[in-house]
Amino acid sequence: MGRTLTFKIFRYNPYDDGSKPHIQEYTLEETPRLNLFNALNKIRDEQDPTLMFDFVCRAGICGSCAMMINGRPTLACRTLTSDLPGTIELYPLPFFKMLGDLSVDTGVWFREMAQRVESWIHAGKEFDPNAEETRMDNKTAVAIYNTERCIECGCCIAGCATANVRSDFMGAAGLNRIARFMIDPRDERGHETWFELVSTDEGVFGCIGMMGCDDVCPKDIPLLDTLAFIRRRMTAGS
Amino acid sequence: MNNIKTELYPQAIRGGGKKSEAYKKARRALIAELISGVTGLLLAGFIFGHLILEGTMLFGKDLYEVVAYYMEHPLPLAQISAFSIGILFFVHFVYASRKIPARLYERKRMMEIGLSIKKAKKRWSQPKSDIMLRRHRETSLWIWQVRTGMIVLACGAFHLFLVTWNIFTDMGYADASGLTAKIASSRVESGLWILYLVLGISVVAHLAIGLYRLAVKWISDTWFNRRWAYLLCTVIFWFYVILCIAGVAALAGKLTLIEIPVGDLLIRS
Ligand code: HEM
Ligand code: SF4
Ligand code: SF4
Ligand code: FES
Repeated sequence: MGRTLTFKIFRYNPYDDGSKPHIQEYTLEETPRLNLFNALNKIRDEQDPTLMFDFVCRAGICGSCAMMINGRPTLACRTLTSDLPGTIELYPLPFFKMLGDLSVDTGVWFREMAQRVESWIHAGKEFDPNAEETRMDNKTAVAIYNTERCIECGCCIAGCATANVRSDFMGAAGLNRIARFMIDPRDERGHETWFELVSTDEGVFGCIGMMGCDDVCPKDIPLLDTLAFIRRRMTAGS
Repeated sequence: MNNIKTELYPQAIRGGGKKSEAYKKARRALIAELISGVTGLLLAGFIFGHLILEGTMLFGKDLYEVVAYYMEHPLPLAQISAFSIGILFFVHFVYASRKIPARLYERKRMMEIGLSIKKAKKRWSQPKSDIMLRRHRETSLWIWQVRTGMIVLACGAFHLFLVTWNIFTDMGYADASGLTAKIASSRVESGLWILYLVLGISVVAHLAIGLYRLAVKWISDTWFNRRWAYLLCTVIFWFYVILCIAGVAALAGKLTLIEIPVGDLLIRS
């Protein structure tokens, strides 16, 4: 115990003309079970009230605290300083719109993605409130649940070399979302619709299989499995 | 009812009759992906066989001559494969290089992100932390695949050209046309061993990474998951790299494991 941690934090405010991107250093005494959520708040409270970063749930649920921690995109609230060496480098997630320092706007991207993949169940049947609920077998329900665990943190986009250079690429999160509706028996979209949406260079065939997404997803969503499933589904159906 | 549905979800219930532009575009993307994968797979299969056959030199000139003989009799297998591999090679190059980012900025960015995630491993102190820190090397592997692909393109084209010339003519070696240990060895001895080593190691690295990614891309959700794919491709890589180095040494006359004297089997007509 009792390490003194050095934080090297990327500072830049795009809304301030005088601001230049630079790295600022802070030091902080390590306390037992300190996580980056507490560490950053301490720095802001005690040393620098201008430091910008996002946290909401501090429990790995909301996805707002993703940042590059020693070179790797992951959730700050779930990262203990004891898992890190004494020097901790923090950068904002690349690719997303910069709001200031460690804060980026993942929301716009995810909303556009949701609109693009029409992220809702497409059903034409009239709803009958008196009818018995349609049953779903457990395997399907679990598979859907697995895709739905995505918290839209953006780590898989930040960690994907393809997404980093091609802003129109749907990314693993987008393809994961598509898979969610593809396996849902209630969704009436047919193969042709999926095929047009996903069998493109912006979709699954833009992915070159570098596996960064799967390796960094803090929710351990089996993204590679999902991608393989979509590829085969697209090939078999056509 | 049906009309309301059509209005709400126009793309959902199209279908029947003529395929739309979007559908055709999607089809082209799928076909391009399949072509680059299948040609890669076929080329890899060919290289496996090719390196093993070249490796017979490790068991002496005699065995090599026997193999070379059967590559041309009764069917001109060598000629047929040189021709078809040339075509596959070209098609694979055209379709696979679609994925290489055209702009320098993009390539730099890819390297940056790859290095960042890879190096992160060293900059987290507890690799066993429950959150994460599984290895990450695959982005860099892909970049190496592109680089080795370029080397294979240059050296491989030269090699294919030379060999094609050789198996259709006597190339000035008046005593024999086609495949013989003598010609192969004299090529290696005259300095081409460097080319063969570079080409061999690059091709093996390229195809091992390629097969790994191919498996992950298509079947990682089956029992043959990423772990198995990685293991198998590592074994393939080392086996063929060693075979290739040993094979070149054997052709240069510097290495023979055991001599198998089968020269008498040969009845060259
Ligand atoms: C005998 C020679 C070759 C063999 C055995 C071979 C094998 C392979 C294999 C198995 C793949 C995986 C396919 C996939 O991921 O879809 C691949 C991909 C690739 N190859 Fe080759 N290849 C050869 C020559 C070349 C050449 C000459 C180039 C020229 C630049 C090249 C560039 C690439 C690239 C860029 C990829 C990645 C494609 C992608 O990510 O979709 N290869 N190769
Ligand atoms: S497998 Fe690689 S290219 Fe494909 S989405 Fe994941 S990180 Fe991006
Ligand atoms: S798939 Fe994983 S890494 Fe990607 S946004 Fe969802 S939770 Fe984050
Ligand atoms: S603060 Fe919500 S995921 Fe970290």
